[in-house]
Amino acid sequence: MTNHLDASQFTQDQQFEADIVIIGSGAGGGIAAEQFAQAGLKVLLLEEGAYYTRDDFVMEERWAYPNLYQEGAARKTRDQAIGILQGRTVGGSTTVNWTTSIRTPPPTLDYWQSEFGLNFSGANDLGPYFAKAEQRLNIKPWQIAPNANNSVVQRGCQALGWQYTVISRNVNGCANLGYCGMGCPINGKQSMLVSTIPAALALGATLISRLSVRKFNWQGDSISGIEAVPVDQHFQPRTDISVSITAKHYILAAGAIGSPAILLRSGVPDPSRRLGKHTYLHPSLISGALFAEDINGHAGAPQSVYSDQFVWPDSDYIGYKLEAAPVHPVLMATKLLGSGEQHAALMQQFNQLQVTIALMRDGFHPQSQGGSVMLDSQQQPVLDYPITDYLWQGARRALLSMAELQFAAGAKQVLPIHHDAVLYKSWHEAKAAINNLSMQKYRQTVASAHVMGGCNMSANPAKGVVNQQGRHHQLQNLSIFDGSILPTSLGANPQLTIYGMTWLNCQLLQAELTTT
Amino acid sequence: MDRRQFILSGIALAAAASLGAGLSIYGWRQSLNADDNNRNLVLSAILPALLYGALPRDASLAAMELERTKAAVNDFLLFLPLRQQQELHQLFNLLANRISQLGLTGHLTQLADLSIQQRLVLLDSWRDSYLGVLQQAYHGLRELLYGAYYGQPEHWQALAYTAPRFR
Repeated sequence: MTNHLDASQFTQDQQFEADIVIIGSGAGGGIAAEQFAQAGLKVLLLEEGAYYTRDDFVMEERWAYPNLYQEGAARKTRDQAIGILQGRTVGGSTTVNWTTSIRTPPPTLDYWQSEFGLNFSGANDLGPYFAKAEQRLNIKPWQIAPNANNSVVQRGCQALGWQYTVISRNVNGCANLGYCGMGCPINGKQSMLVSTIPAALALGATLISRLSVRKFNWQGDSISGIEAVPVDQHFQPRTDISVSITAKHYILAAGAIGSPAILLRSGVPDPSRRLGKHTYLHPSLISGALFAEDINGHAGAPQSVYSDQFVWPDSDYIGYKLEAAPVHPVLMATKLLGSGEQHAALMQQFNQLQVTIALMRDGFHPQSQGGSVMLDSQQQPVLDYPITDYLWQGARRALLSMAELQFAAGAKQVLPIHHDAVLYKSWHEAKAAINNLSMQKYRQTVASAHVMGGCNMSANPAKGVVNQQGRHHQLQNLSIFDGSILPTSLGANPQLTIYGMTWLNCQLLQAELTTT
Repeated sequence: MDRRQFILSGIALAAAASLGAGLSIYGWRQSLNADDNNRNLVLSAILPALLYGALPRDASLAAMELERTKAAVNDFLLFLPLRQQQELHQLFNLLANRISQLGLTGHLTQLADLSIQQRLVLLDSWRDSYLGVLQQAYHGLRELLYGAYYGQPEHWQALAYTAPRFR
């Protein structure tokens, strides 16, 4: 690809200029790159990760995690209580996600309207932009029968009379392999890597990979340039070469940890005191279940059925969404309980293991105000996310719901992923045990695959970092187009929300740029 | 204070002094720098315990799997943020030099001289410690080491799992 530069190959300082520079090539940056390239603007797309493509995707976790994920897929919150799976490669998390595509739930938009003055109706209706993204990325309900792992969720819901939905996926020519999390080896998944980014490059955009943006230079109400450095073969920022970039307009799309980190390093104005604050994770609980028959949770579309039975409870309790999670050796070995023979015995039942997850909808309650991005001594981001009692109460209810679901679907034994738990033989036994588990960090395993917030939208500059169009409230030539602008979590997997919202905001920005 | 409590608090103090910020009064601060020998020593001691039941009975096969796992750990560490790498180096240095001398026998036992069972008990004591820093050490090592072992296709036989081949 002639329009691709690998910054790790630079041998001297570099300077670039463009109309639009986009920092980050995930769901937000990928959509924006195509939109502005189509508009005839000179687009420069920057990515900290490498430009790997399908020939590199060998379907092995030992290659995928260090090369395609933030911090080798071992990213943790500051106290190491929550593991975070987040992409760091061309295409961002869209290159490694599980393809679940869900429009923003209307109650979430309603909450944003009442709390943050955001109005996504009328001219700002996201519906048409979701439709555009769905068409662009071939997002459709999955027509093939769910794999055994997901059919447990479906069967359990049917047996209990719980709501469930067949998932829409962004795939075209999917071979139902089940290795979406390691990069699609056949370009079936319509990630940014295979859709908008190659289209933008064909239209003249330039991609610079393995480049870490360190800071914005700014003065008054404007950004004047970017300082960046190449990363080394382990994606650590280097200090020997500097890259400076100027543009007419700057689009930040480095994700909900990366975007606040760049702004914090830059010391930009933050009168709302919300920069890097209110970061949400969909903190997720895990429940394993052993079945008599083979589940083979590694094979087939990783997510094809979800249940929203508990996402919007009538009570004050936190809501949670139920989904299946794929079962691969490293993912499982690191989450399964115990050590020595106990752990080995569980691993030997790998093919009989079904895994259900519950994603808690954080950010909708005074006791759920999320986390804070801060910088370590290397100026690298670290997310502090305290888990409140309110969340722990939700965690216990989520473990109960998952065990009930798995037994209803015919599980022989259920193993809540909590370090005091054992295999339980009946719903009755599991219920009593889960009610007695001590809900504390480390003992209770918590994971996240969705990072949101930290640069939240708000109509009122006193309550947010950007406005509804993603424009920074203080810096006139900066827009933020990624999950960091979400004022709460979503209660749904985030990629389609980011696609639709970015598409809409690109149209609005383009209109403003061409009239000024 | 019974002996078990004494040992645990001794380990806890050592770890807190080393991992916690500024508790250098104990004189037990360990270097943040990588020491290949220390890491190798600790991995050689902990891996056979953690993987007990997973490693093949054949000693030479088991040794090969351990070497492969250690190499995978070493390769992987470099992808972690420097902050985490330093914490792990510190932990390896601590375990190689100090904690082992407070071993469960109460004597100046090296980690490597403990039986497999004693090493597992030691690991479990960290998991159950009231000190967050020891719980972090337990979970951090466990994730790193199990990830390194089960990332190798050669170790999947017991799982009856093979990845599909496409090319």
